Amino acid sequence: MIKRVAMLLVVVVLAFGGLISCAGPAEETTYKVGAIVSQTGPYSALGLPALEGAELIVKGINEAGGINGVPLELIVYDDKGSSTETALAAKKLIEVDKVLALFCSSATGLAHSLVPVANEGKTPGIPMSGTGLIHDQLGEWAFKPISAEEDYIPLPLNYLSQDVGVSKLAGMMENSGYGEGGEFYLVQCAPDCGIDVVEIQHFDPAATDMTPQLTNIKNSDAEAMFVWGSGPAGALAIKQAREMGMSVHIVTTPAQASPSYVEAFQEFYEMEPSAVCLDSKLTMWRQLPDDDPDKAMCREFDELYTGIYGHPPSMWNAIGAQIVQFIADGLERAQPDPSNLEEARAEVRDAFETTENLSLFMGTYTLSPTDHYGRVIPKEVLVTFEGGEKVLVKW
Amino acid sequence: MDFSSVLQFLISGVTLGCIYAALGLGLFVVYGVTRVLNLAQGEFVMLGGMITVSLNSMGAPLFASIVLAVTITALSGAILYRFIIYPARNSAGSTLAFLTAGFAFAIEGLTLLVWGWEFRSLTNFLGSPNIHLWGATIFGQAPWVVGVTLLMVVGLYLFFGYTVKGKALRACADEPLGAKTVGISTEKMALFSFVLAAGLGAVAGATITPLTMTAYNVGIPLTIKGLLAAFVGGINRAEGVILGGMVLGLAEAMSAGLMSSGYHDVLALGVLLVVFLCRPRGLLGAPERA
Repeated sequence: MIKRVAMLLVVVVLAFGGLISCAGPAEETTYKVGAIVSQTGPYSALGLPALEGAELIVKGINEAGGINGVPLELIVYDDKGSSTETALAAKKLIEVDKVLALFCSSATGLAHSLVPVANEGKTPGIPMSGTGLIHDQLGEWAFKPISAEEDYIPLPLNYLSQDVGVSKLAGMMENSGYGEGGEFYLVQCAPDCGIDVVEIQHFDPAATDMTPQLTNIKNSDAEAMFVWGSGPAGALAIKQAREMGMSVHIVTTPAQASPSYVEAFQEFYEMEPSAVCLDSKLTMWRQLPDDDPDKAMCREFDELYTGIYGHPPSMWNAIGAQIVQFIADGLERAQPDPSNLEEARAEVRDAFETTENLSLFMGTYTLSPTDHYGRVIPKEVLVTFEGGEKVLVKW
Repeated sequence: MDFSSVLQFLISGVTLGCIYAALGLGLFVVYGVTRVLNLAQGEFVMLGGMITVSLNSMGAPLFASIVLAVTITALSGAILYRFIIYPARNSAGSTLAFLTAGFAFAIEGLTLLVWGWEFRSLTNFLGSPNIHLWGATIFGQAPWVVGVTLLMVVGLYLFFGYTVKGKALRACADEPLGAKTVGISTEKMALFSFVLAAGLGAVAGATITPLTMTAYNVGIPLTIKGLLAAFVGGINRAEGVILGGMVLGLAEAMSAGLMSSGYHDVLALGVLLVVFLCRPRGLLGAPERA
């Protein structure tokens, strides 16, 4: 009899213990944000700095107590330079990790894979895309507070027509989504800037010899050349053009201003007329006039980044940083409750759509339900190269 | 289309062709002896360039840097054979090819870890200046690339044709059982072929870096181009590989020059596809012995 009671007691105690342990430790609420970046693959040069910038902002937010007191949690996946991997990572972030919002910051072509997945998964997604071609495909759930060609192409074109005084332009376009967008908008924007596009050549992003294309440009009556690339080929094109004795004016997209190329090919970048590249206020803040409204913001980020990494930040650090800043601003206004995921995501989307005059590194943004791009003030600058230094030319 | 433009396209084509031919030769050396398709050949080329740049930027004179880079890369070729290919030597050829591909990815990842993603460059050997000829430009490093490739071709021809070791290597390729019967160690010959291919690849890599720059991820595209060159020309014969490389390089350059649209890569590869369909063993491919 006693034995039976004792056994029953043991079973009850064990069962109780089992039930208590099932409850598990109380989970801390965080705002989960998904990040898909190229940590490996051909675009890691853009992805890794973007991640650095993003992580820096997340750290700063959490050290200051989080958003509305809730810590921000960044969940990072590597897209390995593949659109398929990007889409898969996006699905995983939405369905398994249950993020409130996600972004992809590697290259334009990869980031576009995010758009359909975000719309299908009804989760706000930010593709780091610099092209306007995607604007009418963003749907309800994709936002791109970054840049678009229509805003920044006029800067170098006006520089050529007004400051330099030339009008005949050749396009040296990369064979990629990035180059495709560039070509479309170059042709569209040129007439309004007093530029006549007389020749267009294409090159592979991994090309090592562009003399055939450059020869064709040389033979045309182009007075200037717009090198539109995101990889080493663009920098090689500048070097090879100068080595071939071409003295056309050269303007380029931001990737060609990357320190590793400028250092390696300094002689060619500085050869008269020195190359002029698109860049950002963040890298050139020291040369901005003191009354520039963005100078303080850029200096702050520069000092923060340099303090940790020992070298100044690049435009790609700024892009990663500003995506997180945009998301954080939306989360702050939405105050979503992550336990009700569907509603929370909708609230975040609504908050993104009501972003107003948000000043970030690449621009100032005011979005709306019909405008998921919203850049009202572009902040690109033009730089050239002299004596081993970058010099601000126009902004 | 004026003369100097066509000349420029030809110069570009010949330079590219020599790069691809050099890659194809490395593939030929390994395939010819072991019947293994070494998909890591491009990594040897990449390592040759990266290590040379590293040593040179640390202060070592250029020639010493190249010699050291070639030695280190040749060692990696030995590692590939001894620790990856040799243990699996009884596997099917496709398995061995996959193993070399795995090795290639591993090298790429290691390189990214050690050196980072940045592209690196070298100045032209001996500071060779550009040559301007009839309105076209020959980049200073281009003669070096052509010269090194020619040296490789001549060197391999003499080696395989007139030295005992070279003939032993050919014996392994033509008749492995017979070779063993006369006392040739097929394993030692296989090791040697990997080391040779790695060394040649490294020399090519160091030589092309002033022209093309180098980075952790240039290996695989180079391997693919080398494979195309080898298959189009016929991987069984060195002459085939060289011809394949030149055809590929010229097709690329001419289509880039003559077509302003973005389809010139498609056209170049299309031409190669036609070659394949007409002559499946490659332009100079010999039928394989039983």
